[in-house]
Amino acid sequence: MPIQILKNFFKTGELKKQHVINLIRSSLPIIGLITVFIVFNALTHGNMWSSRKLILNQIYVVMIAATGVFFIMSMGGLDFSQGSIMGIASIVVCKLSGTNIWLAVAGGILAGAAIGAFNAYFYVGRKIKSFIVTICTMFLFRGVIKYMASNSPVAASMRVYDYDTTAIKLGITAAVLLISFIVFRFTSFGIHLKAIGAGEKAVKFAGVRTDRVKFLIYVLAGAITGLAAFVNIVKNGSATANVGNQLETQILIALVLGGMPISGGAKVKFENVIVGSLLYIVLTNGLIMMGLTTQMMQLIQGIVFLIFVALFADRENLSVIK
Amino acid sequence: MSDIRLEVKKVSKTFGITRALQDVSFNIAKGEIHALIGENGSGKSTLTNSLAGIYHKDRGTFLLDGKEVDPANQVEANNEGISIIVQELGTLDGLTVAENIFLGHEEQFVKFGIKNTAAMNKKANELLKKYGFDKIKAPDMIDDYNFEDRKLVEIVKATYFSPKIVVIDETTTALSREGRDELYKQMKRIREEGNTVIFISHDLPEVLEMSDTITVLRDGVYIDTVKSSEIDEDGLKKLMVGRDVTGAYYRTDYGEEVSKEVVMKVSDVTVPGLISDVSFELHKGEILGFGGLSESGMHEIGKACFGASFDRTGSVTLSDGTHINDIPTAIAHSIAYTSKDRDNESLVMNQSIRDNICLPSLRELSNKAHMLSDKKLKSFAEEFAKKMSTKMQSVDQFVSNLSGGNKQKVVLARWIGKDSDILLLDSPTRGIDIKVKQDIYRLMDEMRKSGKSIIMISEELTELIGMCDRIIIMKDGRINGELLRSADIDENSLIANMV
Repeated sequence: MPIQILKNFFKTGELKKQHVINLIRSSLPIIGLITVFIVFNALTHGNMWSSRKLILNQIYVVMIAATGVFFIMSMGGLDFSQGSIMGIASIVVCKLSGTNIWLAVAGGILAGAAIGAFNAYFYVGRKIKSFIVTICTMFLFRGVIKYMASNSPVAASMRVYDYDTTAIKLGITAAVLLISFIVFRFTSFGIHLKAIGAGEKAVKFAGVRTDRVKFLIYVLAGAITGLAAFVNIVKNGSATANVGNQLETQILIALVLGGMPISGGAKVKFENVIVGSLLYIVLTNGLIMMGLTTQMMQLIQGIVFLIFVALFADRENLSVIK
Repeated sequence: MSDIRLEVKKVSKTFGITRALQDVSFNIAKGEIHALIGENGSGKSTLTNSLAGIYHKDRGTFLLDGKEVDPANQVEANNEGISIIVQELGTLDGLTVAENIFLGHEEQFVKFGIKNTAAMNKKANELLKKYGFDKIKAPDMIDDYNFEDRKLVEIVKATYFSPKIVVIDETTTALSREGRDELYKQMKRIREEGNTVIFISHDLPEVLEMSDTITVLRDGVYIDTVKSSEIDEDGLKKLMVGRDVTGAYYRTDYGEEVSKEVVMKVSDVTVPGLISDVSFELHKGEILGFGGLSESGMHEIGKACFGASFDRTGSVTLSDGTHINDIPTAIAHSIAYTSKDRDNESLVMNQSIRDNICLPSLRELSNKAHMLSDKKLKSFAEEFAKKMSTKMQSVDQFVSNLSGGNKQKVVLARWIGKDSDILLLDSPTRGIDIKVKQDIYRLMDEMRKSGKSIIMISEELTELIGMCDRIIIMKDGRINGELLRSADIDENSLIANMV
């Protein structure tokens, strides 16, 4: 689309105001990513580039978990319980890692899926708005995490460090992204998701079992975050009481930075996940390297977040956060 | 002083990529009732809404008595001497009748920052009395009045200050006979005072009777302005459509035998509060009509047969014994449904034409690995959108930008693409202009001939009489009579069963 507009521009010189706005909107995340990257490299005298491995290491967890939430937000829902899902799944991974590493992976995924199903039951079955349900489960499971990990962190078996290689972490991330991309772009499931985000009632009347789709998507997002929990434990080796804290906000900011319309629908694009996660990580790391305090960082993040939401909100369709 | 009240000069307005108005120019005189007609999406309401400050035109000027006006909102328009009675409900809930009448003009009752409610009510009551609407009381909440009375309040609101121009946008369809007469009386009064009425209506006999001058728009372009005394209904239709409207409008056959084969059997269907104990059979190749008053429950029949009703009892059975209890089962067994509430139930508004057409057919369109290709979806959507001659730039366009008739074409394209055998069409021609209506009737006739069965639910009795093999009349949620196709049925024989 943007390319088409540019072509027209060069051909006819015609560039309408609305088109300019759309062009800026659709290319802002990628331009932002490049600009932020260059600016921080300049400001830190290349420090950012030399510590790229360290930065890359922080991307995996956010990017994997953001993929699940991306699905949820495509159909107009929200999920604030991601951090708590990450926490519980991390503890499960730690406990099982001594027995068998495959069992630990499966356990993490299952734990995540179970909490996702718990969310979905109240959201779909009991018809409570998703952000209310997930805020409740966020506190609920955070409580469980504190109970289990407050006295001492839950440590994983030393064997998990064998898996702490870039190949494995990058491989898992790439696999999740690739499969999700195919599902989102080339299956009826993906089309259903976007359509539900754009207008649920009409989708129901077109014969889609919308409740089933909505239930599945929460389970799936939970499972994906369960997998991210494995990567998290491989990286950190143990689960503290703060494990996964604020992951949900990080994901939300990442997706919105990537250009995701907050109410989902037809304008959602898969590159939102990738560009957004990268932009978020580069931005936070850049700020840290600049020597900003945590308080200042939160302030700046808040401002950037607000600007992006204002830019990408689909105002015709805003009343429908489910 | 010239006797031109309003000069419309090269006014243009676009919505997204739809050009609603293109360089429209014409004049409206003082002391006349000037009708504005055209098919759906021809730009009538867009023009008057721009004049009244509801929309903002992109280009062009309005000259009111030679002075340019460009109101930013309705209150500013009022102050310039322009008022409007809109098609939809134009009064606000939660306010009193008086507050609604003086909305935006409360300052005349405000002293030292405090509103004098008594004075406002007194003035409003005087106005209502002057108009002869004594039954409406100024201090009452507007919520306590029905649609018709609220429209009367709007008439007062729009005309009490003797504006130079009053726009009346398709208000008459919402009114009963008495309400209409009241409105006509007010329109004539405004004319006698030397002011101007811009009158928008789809009802051509009414337009010819009431107006002095008629301006025709088509697809956002100015076509012609004619004197009402010098033209007839056919002449107007020709101007609106752009060609002679000839050929059969409805079906012309009578006495054709309908197949005995039953494709759908509905037994004792009840939906609490809407329909009770409805039973009927639909035959192969039959067009079965449902008529009645809007609240007769007939609109629920379509939903009930589609498995979309909430809390339904009784059974809907197909010839192979399948029970229809939910939408996916209905669609899987070749049943299609178009809702009266097109924008909410039939179409995903903020979604492309492509996805809207493909939505129920995704399973058929995916390959063995359950994968879909963009190319296949696009060609499928294009094939059926073109078959329905949908007016669009491309199938990637969002349906929200289409006019009512084109939206309905997208809905029908979806089900033709699905090749459904049983079609449940609720108000298929609601808000659709003559040309598209004719297309839809022809399509229904073709489908019938190819052995498909149709249930047509409609509030328009003439189209039921014209199209159906059999008409079932509903009253208070029950079946209250059945008529077979014949050239002798007239509207009165249907109405007798309706009320």
